[in-house]
Amino acid sequence: MLVIPSFNEAPRLPALLARIEAEKTGLEVVVVDDGSRDATAELAARAGATVLRHPFNLGYGAGLQTGYKYALEVGARCVVQMDADGQHDPSDIRRLLAPLERGECDLVIGSRFLAPTGYEMGFTRTLGRRFFVGLARAFGIRVTDPTSGFQALGRRVLELYAGDSFPSDYPDVDVLLTAHRHGLAVREISVEMHASQRKSTLHGGLRSVWYVYKMLLAVWAASAGGTK
Amino acid sequence: MNDAETLAHLRELFLDNPDLEAARWLALSISLALVAAVLFLVRRRGLREEYTPIWLAVSAALVFVSLRIDLLRELTRAIGAWTPSSTLFFLGELFLVAICLNYAVRLSRASLLIKNLAQEIALLRAQVEKLAARGEDARE
Repeated sequence: MLVIPSFNEAPRLPALLARIEAEKTGLEVVVVDDGSRDATAELAARAGATVLRHPFNLGYGAGLQTGYKYALEVGARCVVQMDADGQHDPSDIRRLLAPLERGECDLVIGSRFLAPTGYEMGFTRTLGRRFFVGLARAFGIRVTDPTSGFQALGRRVLELYAGDSFPSDYPDVDVLLTAHRHGLAVREISVEMHASQRKSTLHGGLRSVWYVYKMLLAVWAASAGGTK
Repeated sequence: MNDAETLAHLRELFLDNPDLEAARWLALSISLALVAAVLFLVRRRGLREEYTPIWLAVSAALVFVSLRIDLLRELTRAIGAWTPSSTLFFLGELFLVAICLNYAVRLSRASLLIKNLAQEIALLRAQVEKLAARGEDARE
């Protein structure tokens, strides 16, 4: 199953869904419309995707979690999640799923930085990424791209992430730490990512300060066992 | 008289200041108005019963303090404040901080429940749409 959380993504979603269709992955495509004010849900349904519609905006994390809950409900073995803004390349989906299907791990992260892919970040975001890589490493998680939204998750991870401790806004290092603490194996593979076609990103501007503050608290709570 | 003695003398003057009858009646009126507001809100279903004890307790405390200002004066002396009114402000601020924290906790819980409920609606709606589509297919 492929889960795509979307909020006001009507200008970008049809192209992404067409690229996914062209890949012929055989996965059920689930678009979680997080209370969009545009035609996101209609366009997704027209493209043949299963659409889960939030009655109002709940946040990126809540959108992902609705997808996980749906996957558990229909008995999916694993989920690939990707962003709707065109950052992630559907041609990487099979590679992302491969380690899960071989039973080598429970969670696969598509990393922009495992191998040189030419992906460039601004100074502040690079600093932030390095900080979170160091933070994850301090808890024994060796990853190069802890904020990547391009991931494949096995059933055990889905069951864990469907709990109440999963954040409604930005699930990043804190949820990785939760998975790690529950003995779930995390692995990275190198993927190519494009610049987001969205004008503003989740971690841009003043939000990044709030993001770092919130993430530090969430990591502290997760490390103290404040997870379900 | 040195500075410290002057300050101590001033403080005693403040503490021994005779009670103002008007202030006592004002405090009593406010307490009774608060009780009336709480009961009115409960009757109009604007306030749930489980939230009333704290406000009724505040009203009772205000009534008690208005009738026994001498005890408030003793408390003021004990905590090192200068005037009974500053002690009241201090206690009021502590109460407000505590109640804000309490409401933040309740709000966090309510947010989680709302999120779960909205997700449940999304899942059920998808199920209903799927069943409706299946029904239409069967009719055709």
